[in-house]
Amino acid sequence: MLSYKAWLDTRWRFLIGLCVLIVVAIGTVYDYLAVQRLLPLTRTIDGDGAIRARVREAIEIERTYRGFVWLQWFRQNLAQIGTLFAVLLGSGHLLSSGSSGAALFTLSLPVSRDRLVGVRAAVGLAELLALALLPSLAISALSPGIGQHYAVGDAVIHGASMFIAATVFFSLAFLLSTVFNDLWRPLLIACAIAFVLAVVELVVPDVGRYGIFRVMSGEMYFSAGRLPWIGWIVSAALSASLLYAAVVNMRRQDF
Amino acid sequence: MADAAAIQTIDLRKRYDSVEALRGLNLNVATGSICGFLGRNGAGKTTTIKVLLGMTHPTSGQARVLGLDADRPDASVEIRRRTAFVGEDKDLYDAMTVDEMIRFTAAFYPRWRADLQARYLRAFDLPADRPIKTLSRGTRTKVGLLLALCRGAELLVLDEPTSGLDPAAAEQVLQALVGHVADEAATIFFSSHQIANVEQIADSVAIIDGGRTVLAGSLDELRERYRRVQLVFDRDAPDPAFRAPGIERVRRSGRVLSVLSSAGAEPVLDEARALNPVSMDVVPVTLKEIFLEAVALED
Repeated sequence: MLSYKAWLDTRWRFLIGLCVLIVVAIGTVYDYLAVQRLLPLTRTIDGDGAIRARVREAIEIERTYRGFVWLQWFRQNLAQIGTLFAVLLGSGHLLSSGSSGAALFTLSLPVSRDRLVGVRAAVGLAELLALALLPSLAISALSPGIGQHYAVGDAVIHGASMFIAATVFFSLAFLLSTVFNDLWRPLLIACAIAFVLAVVELVVPDVGRYGIFRVMSGEMYFSAGRLPWIGWIVSAALSASLLYAAVVNMRRQDF
Repeated sequence: MADAAAIQTIDLRKRYDSVEALRGLNLNVATGSICGFLGRNGAGKTTTIKVLLGMTHPTSGQARVLGLDADRPDASVEIRRRTAFVGEDKDLYDAMTVDEMIRFTAAFYPRWRADLQARYLRAFDLPADRPIKTLSRGTRTKVGLLLALCRGAELLVLDEPTSGLDPAAAEQVLQALVGHVADEAATIFFSSHQIANVEQIADSVAIIDGGRTVLAGSLDELRERYRRVQLVFDRDAPDPAFRAPGIERVRRSGRVLSVLSSAGAEPVLDEARALNPVSMDVVPVTLKEIFLEAVALED
C-alpha cells in the first residue's frame, strides 16, 4: 500500500514525463528522413576550429541510422529531458505530496522511516527506469516505419546507461528533499548542478571523458561496443550513497 | 506494575534551536482512562504528542507509551501499531477517495475492525467514493476518527479532535469517543482548547504550561479539591494573610473577598470566621477556572 501511495504522489510527474519522452522519441525517428535529405548539403562545412570539428564529427555520426539515434536521442534529447524528469521524480515531500499534516498521518502508521523512504525511492526509481526504457524501445518499434532498423539490444543498453546515470540526479534531488520541505528548491538545486556538470563536460574535454553525461549516453558502447561498467558502478555507488544519506537524514528529522 | 500507565513521561525535554518546547514534562496517563491534555497555545501539547508517537526526538528525558520507549525506532513502530492518532490539521491523502483511504490504512493493522468501519461509515454519513480533497474539514475529521477507531488500537492519541467543528459535529465526535472507550476498553489521550469538551468526557486531566505539567489528576478529585470561598463583609473587605494550605488566589473587590483553594473549603472557612464576614459561601469551581488558575491567567 505504501507503494500505491508513492505512485499516487508521483504519477502525474511520471506520466507527463513518459508522454513528453515518447512524443520526442517519435519526433526523433521521423526527423531522420529530413536529416538524410540535409546531409549532402553539409559538404560545404570545412575549415578549422573546435566547433566546426564537432559539427563534422556529428555529421559523420549521423550518416548511419544507429549513429543518428544515438546522437539525437541518447546523447541529447533523452539525456536532457530524462535528467529533468529524474530530478522531478526525486523532488517533493517524500512522505506526502500534500500538506505536512498528511505527512504526520504517514508518520503515525506502524512503519519505520527507513521503509517509508525506501518505498518512495523504489517507486521513483522504477518510474525512472520506465522513462529510460519505454521511449527508447519505442524507437526500435517505430524505426521500421521509416524503413530503418534499430536493435532492441542497443535500446536496452543505452536505456540502462541512461537510467543508471540519471539515478544520481534522482538521488541528489531525493536527498535535497529531505532537507527542504518544498518541491522547488530540490528541483532547482539539482537542475543547476546537472547544468553545471553538462557545461563542464562540454568545455573541458579531459573532464568530459569521465563525465556523467558520457556514461548516460552510453558513448563507450556506441563507439567501442563495450559496456561502461566503471561508469555504471561509480554512478550506482554515488546514487546509493546519496539515497543512504537521505535515509539517515530522514531518521534524525523532527516533524 | 510497570505497564499500568498507558503514557508516562519523565523529565521530558525538547529543544528546537533556541526554543525549549518541553522543559521537564512529567506525565502519567492511566490505562483505560480518558485524559484531557490542556494548555495554552505553544504550551507544548503537540510537541508532546509528536514525541510520544516517534515523530519528534526528545532532547532528553524519557517517554514511554504502552510500556515501550517512544524514542527507540523499533519500539516506536510497535507503539504506532497499537496506537491510533488523529492530528490537529486532520490532513489525509488528497489524492485518495474515502474508500481508498480506509483500505490503505486497514492494510497496516491486522486487528482492523471491519464491523466498526461499517458502523462509523453509517453513523458519520461518510461518502465512500468522494475524494478526500473535496471533503469539508468536519467530514475529514470524521474520516480521520473512523481511521483511528477501527485500528483496534489500545490507545487513541487525538490532537484537538473537535477543533473547527460545529457544535453538532463536535458532539457526534465526542459521543463516538465515549462509546468507543465503553465498548473497547481503550485509553484516550486528547489535547484540546475546548475545556467544555474535556469536562464532558475526560475522567482525568493534565494541564501543561511552558513545557511543564502544572496540574494533573482525576477530574473528580480536582473538582473536589478546588473550592472558591466568597466572603461578604459589611465594610471593605480586609486583606488577610491566609495560612491555610492550598490557597491559590485571594481577590478583593469592594466588600467581597474571594479565596480560591486547592485543598478544599474547610481550612479557609476556619480562618475566615475570625474575620467576621456577614456571609460565607462555598462555590464549586469549574475546570475552566482551574485551568486559568493553573496557567496563571485572570478569568
